[in-house]
Amino acid sequence: MDLAIRDIRQHLGRFLATVVGIGLLFAIVLSMNGIYRGFVFEGLSLINITDPDLWVVERYRGGPINEQSILPEFFHYSVAAIPGVEKASPFILYPVERYVAGKSRRFTIIGYDVFTGLGGPKKLAAGRPITQAHYEAVAHENLSLRLGENFRLGLHTYTVVGLTKEGTSPDGEPLLYLSLPDAQEVIFLPDNEEVRNQRLRVYQSLVRPGFFSPQEAEKYLSRDAIDTHRINAVLVRLAPGAQAQEVARSIRDYLYLSVFTTPEQIDIMFKGRLNRPRMQLYLFRILLLIVCVVIIAMVVFTLTMEKIRSIAVMKLIGSPNRVIIRLIMEQSILLTACSYLIGWIIIHNTHQLWPRLVLLTPGDDLTTLGLALVGGIIASLLGIWKALKTPPALALGEQ
Amino acid sequence: MAAVLKVENLKKTYGSGRLAVEALKGIDLTVNAGDLVALLGPSGSGKTTLLLCVSLILEPTAGKISLDGETLFDHGWQNVDIRQVRLQKIGFIFQARNLIPFLTAMENVILPLDLMGVERAEAVRRARELLEYMEISERADYLPALMSGGEQQRVAIARALAGSPKLVLADEPTGALDSVRGMKVMELLKSIAREKQTAVICVTHDERMIEGFDSIFRLKDGQIMLDT
Repeated sequence: MDLAIRDIRQHLGRFLATVVGIGLLFAIVLSMNGIYRGFVFEGLSLINITDPDLWVVERYRGGPINEQSILPEFFHYSVAAIPGVEKASPFILYPVERYVAGKSRRFTIIGYDVFTGLGGPKKLAAGRPITQAHYEAVAHENLSLRLGENFRLGLHTYTVVGLTKEGTSPDGEPLLYLSLPDAQEVIFLPDNEEVRNQRLRVYQSLVRPGFFSPQEAEKYLSRDAIDTHRINAVLVRLAPGAQAQEVARSIRDYLYLSVFTTPEQIDIMFKGRLNRPRMQLYLFRILLLIVCVVIIAMVVFTLTMEKIRSIAVMKLIGSPNRVIIRLIMEQSILLTACSYLIGWIIIHNTHQLWPRLVLLTPGDDLTTLGLALVGGIIASLLGIWKALKTPPALALGEQ
Repeated sequence: MAAVLKVENLKKTYGSGRLAVEALKGIDLTVNAGDLVALLGPSGSGKTTLLLCVSLILEPTAGKISLDGETLFDHGWQNVDIRQVRLQKIGFIFQARNLIPFLTAMENVILPLDLMGVERAEAVRRARELLEYMEISERADYLPALMSGGEQQRVAIARALAGSPKLVLADEPTGALDSVRGMKVMELLKSIAREKQTAVICVTHDERMIEGFDSIFRLKDGQIMLDT
């Protein structure tokens, strides 16, 4: 006879209310798992999508994603000349907030060499890759741009030729792919007002008593061209048979640049930018799990205390301890499993509504279930201890 | 007739030294199969202590307890599984009825049979038989909360008899009932003793209820004062 089920049957309403309450807590635990996974996934997605053999960045910098790195554009020619390099392609990325598709949006502009394709989008959900040197874009679906739509960005109008679903910036912002020169212009070219202000500041610093005449200052100003030929990294595809570490050493030694492989780039992100928020999320989900276990323990203990006289009666009529342990543990496990199921259903039906990626994985779900069940068993120990300590004489009114 | 319960020179002392309280001062008691025995006595007389010792819940200080020919206590617990002895040889009836509230009447009666490992179908058959014997079979599927006090007590008696015990210990079985229902319960205990040849020890304070009992033991200050 299953005593646990029969006890629950009598207190079904309260059991369900408790299950829903703890289920909501489990939904938060599972969502924290998903937020954690989503955070790591988004943090690394740009590296994983770009996936060159080597990332060449400014010396002593952990760039271009973990830390800013600025290089002159022509460096990619020098990198291409290193033995073992098949392709070397300039790459820039820059987070911006601009007015696009009817509202101000945060996104990250990726500029790449559209002819080598290195650094560009890997899989398109619709349309085609950028094939022209100017005024074409591939946009992430979250930017709400439609295929073929024209939109204004900086000084020019661009046409969306492709849409992608994959990849975000490490901050979870959607990506907008542009050709390298377009991206450089959008990112590095100041608007006309800023150019005028800058020229005025320089002009005023030059035209001072004892320095330059207005005519001479004008002459200098005309030479003060704005340089947009900057990049954040050079992406390298190795020639067949080339050793990544060998090529990296050559680039470091001859060009005085820092070089990372993609796994090293991931490692830098893990230990750098992602580390503390990741640990924070990790800690938070452990704390939530502990809270769940403590609440289950309290509920199970309360349920046990409510039937302590019945337990005493059972002990008096000769119930073995295993029957009593099973009664309490089974209730605890049922409470845990049903609550987990409620939490699982809630989060799996709502995670798409969250503003950032909540990445639910079967592995995390199963691990949480396993931990929850272990927690449920641990939670029942307090009740079991109390039940085993209960003297059978309590059934006769004795303490 | 064979003695079901034999208690010899049973002593129980609570505490030690100057604070020691002698609750039982050498009780001798023999109950045979089919005997209906009443234990009477004022509060503090030792009847509950005697009941707890005979129930194998409380360890006596000295003496000997034998049940169904087996020595269970002889200046210390003998090498027996007390829980099994309680399950298979003793039935308990309480003042507060103490049915398991989340089990139906039928399930309450099945519980000891289930614990004894009786097959489900056989357990159901015996439980139904006992409920019919107690004239409460129409309440078989009711939870205790939906039954009257008298009905609950009849279910409790059915549960006590489920394992065909040699000895039934009843602690104030009429305490929570009115006199009419109390009399009916006592009649039931009498018929159980007669028909099932079960030894019944009934602790009570109500002398009106013990008419027709085979033996009456009056306890005072831990000793049997009167044996009739």
